[in-house]
Amino acid sequence: MIKIFQSEFFKLRKKLRTWLGPLLIMVLVLIAFPLSIDISQYDLNRFYFSIIVVALLMISFLSTEGIFLEDYEDGSLEQVYLVEQDFYKFVLAKVLTFVLLIGVPMAGIGSVFSILNGISINEVPKIFFMMFLSNLLLFNLFAFGSSLSINKGAILGVLATLPLALPIIILLGRGVRTIQHGIGFEGVMALMVGSGLLVASITPLIISATLKTHLE
Amino acid sequence: MSLIAANRISYTINNKKLFHNLSFTIDAGSALHIKGGNGSGKSTLLRILLGITTPSKGKIELLKPNTKITYLGHKNAIKNYLTPIENLKLIFHQSNLESALDWFQRLGLSRVQDEISANLSFGQQKKLALIRVLAAPADLIVLDEPFVGLDDSSRNLLNKYLQESISTGSSLALTSHIRPEIISKELMLENFSND
Repeated sequence: MIKIFQSEFFKLRKKLRTWLGPLLIMVLVLIAFPLSIDISQYDLNRFYFSIIVVALLMISFLSTEGIFLEDYEDGSLEQVYLVEQDFYKFVLAKVLTFVLLIGVPMAGIGSVFSILNGISINEVPKIFFMMFLSNLLLFNLFAFGSSLSINKGAILGVLATLPLALPIIILLGRGVRTIQHGIGFEGVMALMVGSGLLVASITPLIISATLKTHLE
Repeated sequence: MSLIAANRISYTINNKKLFHNLSFTIDAGSALHIKGGNGSGKSTLLRILLGITTPSKGKIELLKPNTKITYLGHKNAIKNYLTPIENLKLIFHQSNLESALDWFQRLGLSRVQDEISANLSFGQQKKLALIRVLAAPADLIVLDEPFVGLDDSSRNLLNKYLQESISTGSSLALTSHIRPEIISKELMLENFSND
């Protein structure tokens, strides 16, 4: 498992455009949005976090679109199957790599920018952790979507799973409000940790079965 | 001793019958050369042997537990954005890496070791992909058109390696339009007409 993870990490690290591109787009969106409106007319505190959340959603959506395509096209999936006889560890390692190289920096960027939403610096680690968990859920969800239509344009499958991302976004929004009001944060956090662990351990099983059907 | 047994396997795709009621065994230390025209199902049969594709009917039995299999199909499974050495390190980690680097030299790839694999010629990419098979001893070697794109010296090296592997007890299943210089049983796949 560690070797698979090391391989996946090495491959993604080498593909600068795949991991750095989404992060730059996120920074660009978060900087460009306040500049494109007349801030003096709006109370940025009230809606800036929504922009962060939408950016988070879109970037995780875009960065996972081709998560399995390269391995499918170059024959690596067949080789993985021959060695492992399923794709569970491979998918687990791949999604985790994406979360670490793209999801964690995204959570970092998002939580820093959330200061513009009136979040105090002391609360930034809480926001970071919540965004990290959201990314863990979103990356698993969109990786599943990508695996559904891997050889027919992965964007279709990812689009199909987009509605399932809504509960995650709602939960993230609820979490931010609990931080702002100082009550109930632990409850929301426990819910996110629980669902994060559950989704991160079960989704690779489903994706593994989906990938196998594509190889048939 | 048989390593793998195919029992009455058939495969149909999009109402097109590729093969029907095929039964054969591959013994340890023997080779099976699967022949047939284009579209006769040779590659599919190899994928069925490997368990990647499920036959429409019949079954494949691996008679030896924990059979170690190496395979090279139509796709090379190499990463175009990595150098050949990086590709080998991905495939072999530490085990067999020394042997892989030895094959890398023997196949004349040393002079392109710093290039990214996308810049390699078709034949060089094929050689790089073949190292996956050459450097990892296996009970069963499965190759789909392994000689395509290879120059004469590499083809001879591969033939010699395959013959040596067979004589040391490995089994081989391959498809090839270029006749391999190894002693092998032949299995001819007919082109079925659609009823």
